[in-house]
Amino acid sequence: MDAAPAWAEHVPAWMSGNRMLELQGLTRQFGTTLAVDHVNLEVPDGQMVGIIGRSGAGKSTLLRLINRLEAPSSGRILSGGRDVTALDGRALRDWRRDCAMVFQQFNLVQRLDVLTNVLIGRLAYQRGWRSFMVLVGARFTAAERAMALAALDRFGLADTALQRAETLSGGQQQRVAICRALMQQPRLILADEPIASLDPRNAQVVMDALRDVNRQDGLTVLVNLHHLDTAREYCDRIVAMQAGKVVFDGTPAALTAERVRAIYGISEEEFAAEAAARLRADAAPARLAMA
Amino acid sequence: MTTAEIAAWRARMPAAFGSSGRTRALRIAGWLAFALWLGWALQHFGFTPQRLWNGLSGLATILRLMVPPSPGELWVDILQGLAESVAMAFLGTFVAAVIAVPLGFLGAGNVMTNLLFRFSLRRVFDGFRGIDQLIWALAFVRAVGLGPLAGVLAIATADIAVLAKLNAEAIENAERRQQEGVTAAGGSRLARLRFGVLPQVLPVMLAQALYFFESNTRSAAILGVVGAGGIGLQISERIRVRHWDEVAFIILLMVVTVAAIDFLSARLRRRLTGGG
Repeated sequence: MDAAPAWAEHVPAWMSGNRMLELQGLTRQFGTTLAVDHVNLEVPDGQMVGIIGRSGAGKSTLLRLINRLEAPSSGRILSGGRDVTALDGRALRDWRRDCAMVFQQFNLVQRLDVLTNVLIGRLAYQRGWRSFMVLVGARFTAAERAMALAALDRFGLADTALQRAETLSGGQQQRVAICRALMQQPRLILADEPIASLDPRNAQVVMDALRDVNRQDGLTVLVNLHHLDTAREYCDRIVAMQAGKVVFDGTPAALTAERVRAIYGISEEEFAAEAAARLRADAAPARLAMA
Repeated sequence: MTTAEIAAWRARMPAAFGSSGRTRALRIAGWLAFALWLGWALQHFGFTPQRLWNGLSGLATILRLMVPPSPGELWVDILQGLAESVAMAFLGTFVAAVIAVPLGFLGAGNVMTNLLFRFSLRRVFDGFRGIDQLIWALAFVRAVGLGPLAGVLAIATADIAVLAKLNAEAIENAERRQQEGVTAAGGSRLARLRFGVLPQVLPVMLAQALYFFESNTRSAAILGVVGAGGIGLQISERIRVRHWDEVAFIILLMVVTVAAIDFLSARLRRRLTGGG
């Protein structure tokens, strides 16, 4: 990674405010359960934050709330002082562009080629006639295509650009998803269990990629993880959740084994094993149901 | 096993020792009623062994007349009629498939959230599906006159509703995660459909259209009988003048054509829906 890509220089005005994200009493209720329960959180610009917690702790819902894939039941989401809780239409799409999501199951369109999947990250930039051309014939500009290829090249995937996404391995697909996220030229990356479906080697490649966009491109990264060691290794700050609430917020060094036992009542190893088993169980039937 | 033990088990779980007298009686009565109805229906439709026998010998005569099949003198007409049938089936299916794409989206629950509109549209689909191609053909022959145009319109009208319903189901079954990827990147509702749904369902839609083309080449033959163009007219004319050898020739030609189209379309469909 010698030269940062051209778009890394693009630093919009809103970045001057150093509070990238501020959550105020953010709450999401499903039926009678509070998936996210009055979460208050401030994330400064450029931080890499790891969010940990057992299954059902509300980590995933929290990220989905920030991207507005879920609507909050109450509370506010502020970004650079601007309230993004009630945006809709064009403004909502622009906000989603600004906070790119990376999903556990990659969420690439399997039958589209890799290049088009990456170009989906440019959808929110299309205006007027261009957005019509893109909708009808996927006619992205040459500049956008070159930009997508450069992003793929950065993660060693330029040669796969014309293959269908479904032909790629999980690790490759997740890197494509990160390229799509970068194409959005976001201020923030929200990664929801990005390595839970990957083997250890690919998990490291993907985490390195996330750290790289955090360090090189200066993007703020919020990443949900079920592995405490990974969170400690990669993140500047760790937020632990339990039953929808933030129960720990501090540096990796402060999250000692005793602290983990105090918060969750189980050892770190049990914590990791439980989370891994639950994720596997979640992923398998979901795929069947979709088939 | 002593008799006492057997009796004890029988008392505890009587159903394990065969059904009770009452169930058996009901079952016998049911079968009897069905047999009576069957007998009555057969008698009502004149299903007598004698008529069957006469019919069979009539059929044998026809079969004898069919051998050897002969193209007759008007074999150019036959080939033209056959080509016309295939063309009718293709055009009719094509028109139906094109119209059924937007209708499918409108009928899909994850696209059209207005329940009343969707419900009404689905009922209209159901209504159209209840009317057979042949009825449409008869109507269009009166409306636009004899010839292949009536056939094309009949095929298209009969298939639009079915294809639209199948398309709507395919759209509803599209995987949610892939659509979410587009939405999360800031894509609009239309962008979600174009990039998140269409790539998933287009191969399914094409495969369905091909399947309908297959079955329509078969049924396009019959449309000619009511004057809606195609090979059917040639067949019915030759049956009227009892040129069974030529009828046999046409039938053989049709079987070969349909088999060829089936083969090609099945291969194409496998390529479309298989992962490759």
